[in-house]
Amino acid sequence: MERFVIIGAGAAGISAAQVLREFRPNDIITVISIDEHIHSRCMLHKFLGHERTIQGINFVDPDFFEKKDIYHIPCQTVSKIDTEAKLVCYGEGYNIPYDKLLIATGSGFFIPPIPHFREAPNVFGFRDLSDALKIDEAFGKGKRVFIVGSGLVGLDAASALCHRGAEITIAEMAPRVMPLQTDDYAASVYQKVFEDHGCRFLLGIGASDAVVDGQGNITEVILSTGEHVPCDFIIMAAGVRPRIQIAQASGIKAERAIEVDDHLRTSAPDVYAAGDCTGLSGVWPDAMAQGKAAAENMAGIDTPYEKPYPFKNTSNFFGVTMLSVGRMDLTEGADVIVHKTPKEYKKAIITNGKLTGYLSLGDISNHGLYLHLIKNGIDVSDKKDKIFRLTFADFYGINEKNGEYVYTV
Amino acid sequence: MKRIFIDPAKCDGCKNCTLACMASHSDMTPRKGTLEELRQAVYALDLTDPATQSRNRIISDGKGGYKPIFCRHCDIPNCAAACMSGALEKNMETGLVEYNSDKCAACYMCVMNCRYGVPAITPDRTRMVKCDFCQHLEEGPACVRACPKKAIEVREV
Repeated sequence: MERFVIIGAGAAGISAAQVLREFRPNDIITVISIDEHIHSRCMLHKFLGHERTIQGINFVDPDFFEKKDIYHIPCQTVSKIDTEAKLVCYGEGYNIPYDKLLIATGSGFFIPPIPHFREAPNVFGFRDLSDALKIDEAFGKGKRVFIVGSGLVGLDAASALCHRGAEITIAEMAPRVMPLQTDDYAASVYQKVFEDHGCRFLLGIGASDAVVDGQGNITEVILSTGEHVPCDFIIMAAGVRPRIQIAQASGIKAERAIEVDDHLRTSAPDVYAAGDCTGLSGVWPDAMAQGKAAAENMAGIDTPYEKPYPFKNTSNFFGVTMLSVGRMDLTEGADVIVHKTPKEYKKAIITNGKLTGYLSLGDISNHGLYLHLIKNGIDVSDKKDKIFRLTFADFYGINEKNGEYVYTV
Repeated sequence: MKRIFIDPAKCDGCKNCTLACMASHSDMTPRKGTLEELRQAVYALDLTDPATQSRNRIISDGKGGYKPIFCRHCDIPNCAAACMSGALEKNMETGLVEYNSDKCAACYMCVMNCRYGVPAITPDRTRMVKCDFCQHLEEGPACVRACPKKAIEVREV
């Protein structure tokens, strides 16, 4: 009987546990997590906005662990891995032995070196349920919120709190909101809808200092312009970093992220890594896929893992929906085609006959094929005139055996 | 598991499948969902209402050929793999990729991840829409029964 241990209960960890159980019905599987409750971090804003309970943001069945006969050790921090003796050391001096181990510790929020920000007790991240609980508590005492960063995480937090009557200021270093996913026009649409809901944006402006009270809490943020913005607490949404402390403490190769090979193996024997902590991608579907691939390899099924295509996202704020795939920022030497109506905005970037960027604001129904075209570098040079009306019919093929579709290019 | 097999060569583009799908998912069709009941429900549809959505599409190539686009309930479903709420799940017994709208957070990762462009979004942007194999109808998928050319049929895989 083999002993599988998984550190982390996010997308990668849970997907690995599920797949391991499928292939290894009788082996011992243990999941150790800091979190008490399994939750989807992509739905944290639903919890913070009081639209859903903790149970409502669980992405697996409430009795997932019981049903799959998986041990769950919640609320525990792993300090290190003894890769010689094959032990995971956690909590106050506990050890758990493994034959195969998966590190799926995700990523954590990053606080830039702004004076007082790293020490202040009223500066929060928005990554885990524990962060959301802290923000919820702080919100009970004061409703003036300062958010650093207007990426998806920052806007998620803003949308949740403005439903609850917060007074929100969002500072963004870039000249537009959601700078990685949008162009200027799409950004202006989102900016307006947030402003209509009472948010204030400071674009191209950073926080450079702070005024603190006797407890070290930040009471005013000082901007790069010199302006003082009073606030009750701060949410940091200025990027994340792979959580590599455990790997580093255990002599596993990790500089910015945990190094993995094409089978998601780390530098230590029988130790694998998956999800955000590998730095390969930061989106949910890729973490799920990595958890699955790592689990298959751990179970002895040879599964090479192809590097994911990380430039992809969808967003939905106040009913304004957007799909953004590829590099919207690389337009040199490219054909940029724009389609704009009162209800829709679309932009395609075609470089050397291949689609390299696609943005759609409005009805994004049936748009999935654009990711496939970009990810696989499929030639569309003869389809430029209908680039916004492409469907799978343009690449239609059927696998006669099982009835599934196949791309014909 | 069962899958709706497609023979595009037989499709003459009449879109009866599309109307049947809309009818099946309107509240005008009784649970049994016989072909006659579906036919009657078609006439009660408000085709100008954006919420009247079909889960299948027929694309014309402009030269007399038609390409039916139907959810494959894929063996490895990318939509479900991308779902961060647990709303989309492959039922291993039936083989269907099932949708639980109560769990859905309308993030639309499923839309982005289906390489065949099947998932659609609702006009109010709160749910997604895809084929459910007409599990609510006793007589099964409406589209298949509505096709006069037998271009689509349910087969065991």
